[in-house]
Amino acid sequence: MTAVQGDTNAPPETSDVEVLLTIRHFETLLLRMFGEGRLNGTTHTCLGQEYVPVALEPLIADDFVLSNHRGHGHYLARFRDPAGLLAEIMGRAGAVCSGVGGSQHLHRDGFLSTGVQGQSLPVAVGIGLHHKRTGSGRIAVAYVGDGTWGEGAVYEALNMAALWRVPVLVVVEHNGIAQSTPTRLQMAGSIADRAAAFGVDFLEITGHDLTEIRELAAPVVRRVREEHRPAVLQFTTRRLGPHSKGDDTRTAEEVEPLWALDWHAELSARMGEEFSRLDERVRAEVQRVAEEVDARPPAEWEPAGGRLPRPVVSGG
Amino acid sequence: MSPTAMAHALNAGLRRAMEDDDRVVLIGEDIGRLGGVFRVTDGLQKDFGDLRVVDSPLGEAGIVGSAIGLAMAGYRPVCEIQFDGFVFPAMNQIVTQLAKYRHRAEGRASLPVVVRIPVGGGIGAIEHHSESPEAYFAHTAGLKVVCPSSPQDAYDLVRQAVRSDDPVVFLEPKRSYWRKGELDLDAVPAPVERARVLRAGDDVTVVTYGALVPVALEVARICAEEGRSAEVIDLRCLSPIDDATILDSVRRTGRLVVAHEASRTAGLGAEIAARVQDRAFYSLEAPVQRVTGYDTPYPPSRLEEDWLPGVDRVLDAVDRTFEH
Ligand SMILES: Cc1ncc(C[n+]2csc(CCOP(=O)(O)OP(=O)(O)O)c2C)c(N)n1
Repeated sequence: MTAVQGDTNAPPETSDVEVLLTIRHFETLLLRMFGEGRLNGTTHTCLGQEYVPVALEPLIADDFVLSNHRGHGHYLARFRDPAGLLAEIMGRAGAVCSGVGGSQHLHRDGFLSTGVQGQSLPVAVGIGLHHKRTGSGRIAVAYVGDGTWGEGAVYEALNMAALWRVPVLVVVEHNGIAQSTPTRLQMAGSIADRAAAFGVDFLEITGHDLTEIRELAAPVVRRVREEHRPAVLQFTTRRLGPHSKGDDTRTAEEVEPLWALDWHAELSARMGEEFSRLDERVRAEVQRVAEEVDARPPAEWEPAGGRLPRPVVSGG
Repeated sequence: MSPTAMAHALNAGLRRAMEDDDRVVLIGEDIGRLGGVFRVTDGLQKDFGDLRVVDSPLGEAGIVGSAIGLAMAGYRPVCEIQFDGFVFPAMNQIVTQLAKYRHRAEGRASLPVVVRIPVGGGIGAIEHHSESPEAYFAHTAGLKVVCPSSPQDAYDLVRQAVRSDDPVVFLEPKRSYWRKGELDLDAVPAPVERARVLRAGDDVTVVTYGALVPVALEVARICAEEGRSAEVIDLRCLSPIDDATILDSVRRTGRLVVAHEASRTAGLGAEIAARVQDRAFYSLEAPVQRVTGYDTPYPPSRLEEDWLPGVDRVLDAVDRTFEH
């Protein structure tokens, strides 16, 4: 099933646009800071894909999110916490998990990311199973890229999820490339057919209009939640930036047409003045956050002491 | 040849191996167009084609498993795992298939598969990108495990690994990729399983490998200033361990420090200490000292300098061997 974007023209809510822009400016800033040698390690930006978690958030606000290496957008859409995330990446006070995890290993109530591709899907099954058994009405949501469908763990998880009727929603951010390898060189068949083979519901969404995505995705999420039917929601999207930093193997001619499809340009045309004002305000705000976080002391790790760690799966 | 970085030496070694034997095929994630994350396979797909340098889908079990099948059919596959922390999906294939095949074939057949893995920390990377998994492999019978510390060794060992009829886990210390050293493309290589005495000494033996070799050499230099003569042994081959070279040294020096980045518990240091106390007990002047990473997951990058064994910690361990 493929849902094509129509032209709804209703302008998105200001608060949604703010989150979209926060993610965009946050990651643009990260790339700049890396360029200036102010950040260590690595980072994977979701430039071009920001709308996916922003659109989904109201549908899954109380649900457990398992994120991946390209997870800043997932985190910011959920928590709207650029300061905590930047502090995590920089190892400063106020970090999401005391600077222990960094860019792609975040841990917060209802949110866990890992950089090891595919491994979070079986974990999502376990979390979903818990919610099913306790009748909490919650679901587990796992974000993966298209390349990650090369990993065997994905299929073990799909089988279990379908067999046991587990409320798991797999969100695929299908950006047509995995690191340097285009999808056509790493995937036989399609994700749709793979989902079908397990009897798992599948919907492809190609547009980036938030309202429309929500209308299309809501019934899918509802079935996962109420009928415990696992589902795969595929967003056909685009990676505008490098895989991590400075490592884009695509030519300028390959990347440039992707920018023409970007939500940023489209919203700007649609919202005019108002968008420019928001854009500038959020950019300045992110910059201010960065300066403030940079001035903080290093993060300290407070040992859990004798206490048992808090269960990460709440509810039920 | 002029000083060459280890990454370039590996590239040259792989190129040479592919020229020498057209059964050699490379398989891994992003090793073609990108040339691998560390550019070790740079240019090889362009020159040898995409049948010999295969960009695989993301799937480490598939990479190693299909290499096993190719090896059974007569190829000599070299797998690239992108980072140490991503080898674990392939662990099943490595431990249950690759390592067992010769045994299962009653010695009549073997699998000439090389699994290359960038390992270790010190490059400011994130979780899953700085691990030292060597003990898992050394613990698995049926695998040879090597770890070069210099461009020359990297070049020689990778060619020898490809020529080996048995599986080799080839560990490439990331911190050493861009360190330069002399490279002679036609030097006669030492046997794979032979440790190398890099600096002779009489008072204490320091055994290490990979990225800690320069640390050990620096320790030996400082020891010399303090009037102590330290012998530095680069293990090179982590399984099987070259007992003879270590024992010969310890019997002369009476003191042993083993240093590695990997966590302490059940690490190679423990194995070497056990072997030495077993066979050179009466030569020992002091308990064997280990200098290792801590028994914790690898820390965030701003703490890694504290986590990784450095010159000071190795010197302290040397001091402890003189306290007896
Ligand atoms: C098990 C494992 N193998 C390799 C990697 C290295 N790696 C990180 S991201 C990536 C590509 C992922 O592609 P895709 O799933 O399409 O997501 P995208 O990066 O396009 O968002 C690779 C190979 C990894 N993180 N985990």
